[in-house]
Amino acid sequence: MKLATQISLGFLIAISIDLVDSYVNYSLTRKVNMNTDFLTNSESVIRTSSVLNRSIIDMQNALRGFLLTGDQKFLTRYNNGSTAIPALMKQERALIGSSPSQLSQLDSITAIHNEWLNYSNQIINEKQKSIANPALNKQYDELFQKQFKINNVKNYNARITAFFSLFDEHEYNIREKRRKALAASIKETDSFSVFFSFLLIIVGAGLAFYLVRRISRRIDSMVKLAEDISMGNFTMVKDDKRDELTSLSQSLNLMSQRLSSNIDELERKNDELNQFAYVVSHDLKAPIRGISNVVQWIQEDLTDELSPNMKKYLDIIPERLKRMADLIDGLLEYARIGRGKYPKEEVDVAVLIKELAELIVPNEYELTVKNMPVLHTERILLAQVFGNLLSNAVKYTSNSDARIEVSCIEHRNFYEFAVSDNGIGIEKEYHEKIFEMFQTLREKHDEESTGIGLAIVKKIVEKNEGAISVLSSAGNGAKFVFTWPKN
Amino acid sequence: MKKIILLVEDDELDIISVQRALKKIGIDHELITAYNGVEALDKLRGNSHRPPMDPLPDVILLDINMPKMNGFQFLSVLREDAALKHLKVIVMTTSAEEHDRTVTEKLGVSGYLIKPLNFTNNDKRPDSMDGFVQFHLRHILANLE
Repeated sequence: MKLATQISLGFLIAISIDLVDSYVNYSLTRKVNMNTDFLTNSESVIRTSSVLNRSIIDMQNALRGFLLTGDQKFLTRYNNGSTAIPALMKQERALIGSSPSQLSQLDSITAIHNEWLNYSNQIINEKQKSIANPALNKQYDELFQKQFKINNVKNYNARITAFFSLFDEHEYNIREKRRKALAASIKETDSFSVFFSFLLIIVGAGLAFYLVRRISRRIDSMVKLAEDISMGNFTMVKDDKRDELTSLSQSLNLMSQRLSSNIDELERKNDELNQFAYVVSHDLKAPIRGISNVVQWIQEDLTDELSPNMKKYLDIIPERLKRMADLIDGLLEYARIGRGKYPKEEVDVAVLIKELAELIVPNEYELTVKNMPVLHTERILLAQVFGNLLSNAVKYTSNSDARIEVSCIEHRNFYEFAVSDNGIGIEKEYHEKIFEMFQTLREKHDEESTGIGLAIVKKIVEKNEGAISVLSSAGNGAKFVFTWPKN
Repeated sequence: MKKIILLVEDDELDIISVQRALKKIGIDHELITAYNGVEALDKLRGNSHRPPMDPLPDVILLDINMPKMNGFQFLSVLREDAALKHLKVIVMTTSAEEHDRTVTEKLGVSGYLIKPLNFTNNDKRPDSMDGFVQFHLRHILANLE
């Protein structure tokens, strides 16, 4: 499976767990809210039931007051009660909704109250009549005495209050049940929450551990491979998973393989070139040496048989042979540049030039060396560059006050060396040409000038990421400027 | 006493070089040349037209790279031949390869000389071809017997 898919899947699992947890918490909140609503409603039910109870008792008290005193004020209270109670009753029915036992209790209360109303209305009617006509007082008293007893026997008040307390008790029971259910669901939600939190932590940590293990170990092995490659060991990484890292390690393996085979190829080519160089120096120079020997033998052994012209012509041959051998050596030297590894060492350039000058620059030349640095570099290559430039300067400076100057300017990352002479100089049109192979501005038979020296210098300088140029005009000497890295 | 030298060499130039060197050294000698191994064996053993070489050479100067039968092959045959196996052989070659040296030394040689390729025409210097041949031949002849 792809790594990206695995990571996405991991996140998906974590998010799902979190969603379930959130849902559980949300439903608990809903339950709490519902319970709060229920409690508000329940308060109203209890309040209304006590108001109702009080109103009924108040009505009974008002009846008693009126019957005892005949005062019409009591009747007003009674009438208020008789209008308020049905409204309260209706309100309470609406509040309790669909609780059958409470409904039946309310029904019972209503029935008892209605029974009582029936009696009270009748007796109030009789009382009013007796007030209007005192002759009827006796008749009323009889009724009152009779009814009062019945009234007491029926005990309306106690029965209604009993029903009300049943009603309230029932309400409190419901409340208690709900409270217990809520507490249970809070507890349940809490344990759910804890469980899901742990699950989330375990799943998250597990996923992280799995992915890190899966990725980091393989990245480590790839880093190791890269280090190996940089040190020249072309190893391989093993990876049988099938994801993005697998293709990365396959690419690395392929790269390692290719590098390895390229380097083998290079080494093979290098060996071939070394072989070629050997063949060139051995097999090309052997016949030249042979010719040279034959000429020498003729000159030594057969000198009496030679005419002056023959002697003159024979003299030309060794010179040309020497030149050809030098050309072969020069070609070999040119071919070897950049292939060999040379040790880096501390080079005091002033000392280097002094040593070279003793071999190359004749005593009658005036040599000035200025501002030479000490640097850490491949001594052999720098010596080759200065050696070729100095012998070049000597070769083309033949006037009586021959002067050669070597100087240096330090830059941030490199040195700029200059070798200048006051010799015959080089015309501008040749400035590029002189660095090419076999370009020499002299006559062919003149001295030992193979035309490879400056090509070698240019190749060495450029291999060292430097540049070389010449400043000169005919008759005004030449100044060769080249750069050399500090490290 | 006259020294008898058998030179097995295919290059005319090297033959002349040896001839000149021997002349310059001035020791009484007889130089017999063969252009390859086959010819050298023919001369040593004789054939239908010619009897075997008698006396046998005091020293054989042997080149390695030759047509028909090269130096190694010649040496192997020589060392198998009861009449010839004791002969003193000195290799003179331009081959500087270590392999050639070890192979010939296994076959038993008294010397292995690598001729210089140096470009100096002065027979006073042992690093020139003529100088080298002279120097070594003088030494070899002086140490015979």
